[in-house]
Amino acid sequence: MAYSEKVIDHYENPRNVGSMDKNDPTVATGMVGAPACGDVMRLQLKISADGIIEDAKFKTYGCGSAIASSSLVTEWVKGKSIEEAGKIKNTDIAEELALPPVKIHCSILAEDAIKAAIEDYKSKQGK
Amino acid sequence: MNYFQLFGIEASFDVDLQNLSSNYQALQKAAHPDKFAHASEQDQRIAVQKSAQINDAYQTLKQPLPRAEYILVQRGVDMPNEQHSFSDTGFLLHQMELREMLEDVKLASDADAALLEVQQVLSSEYLQLTQLMRAQISENNSASNNAACDNLRKLKFYQKLNIEVDRLEDALFDD
Repeated sequence: MAYSEKVIDHYENPRNVGSMDKNDPTVATGMVGAPACGDVMRLQLKISADGIIEDAKFKTYGCGSAIASSSLVTEWVKGKSIEEAGKIKNTDIAEELALPPVKIHCSILAEDAIKAAIEDYKSKQGK
Repeated sequence: MNYFQLFGIEASFDVDLQNLSSNYQALQKAAHPDKFAHASEQDQRIAVQKSAQINDAYQTLKQPLPRAEYILVQRGVDMPNEQHSFSDTGFLLHQMELREMLEDVKLASDADAALLEVQQVLSSEYLQLTQLMRAQISENNSASNNAACDNLRKLKFYQKLNIEVDRLEDALFDD
């Protein structure tokens, strides 16, 4: 199966790979996995007091499409409010990366990672 | 007729693989399409279908994870879609650690020993989780079936890791 140029670009030069301190109250961590392919994705967002995503990091073990989807998401969420970031849909990711139907689940995983990170942030703030 | 009935064995996670294999060969011999070379077109078609069914049944029952999945689906357990994201954070954090451990094997001064260590950790955790799932399957109530299904999904992450381990082993020692 041929990957699109955008997928290859993100795969070869992934943006924002890394980690943040998950115990930092301003850091939101989203962990998701896909049993079908065994992919594991971690997305971390650094969120300012007024709810703006200042920085984003990811680490993904998975195929090229999963890495590209999470890499793209870190670029997209930076500077957005958590509400705006929560509106990113897997279809936007799949369209941007021209993912074939069999790889749509990689974009779903990336969308779920954003949601999981926002959940984590809300539960941290609620404490 | 379900797959267990097809092989004339009890519907259980514990399958005698030798028995399964000999039953498979006997069934496949009886249903072999060559035996129906002079039969009617309809009988030939049935023989081909039967042969394919026996094959599917054997492939499903001989491997523990597909066998567990088959048992749970037969019981009407609602298996989450394979594509559905899994979000047990503690489990996934551990999976990430295991993958990091595997990545470090390449950098280790003694890659052989490092790989062996990963293999030992993985096989002990895989075994533990399989035993847990096995007990839950044999308990067979709605709560235990759902718990077994959850563990089956976890085991799939280990299965994927094992494939990565094999790949790494080939890359390290195949030259």
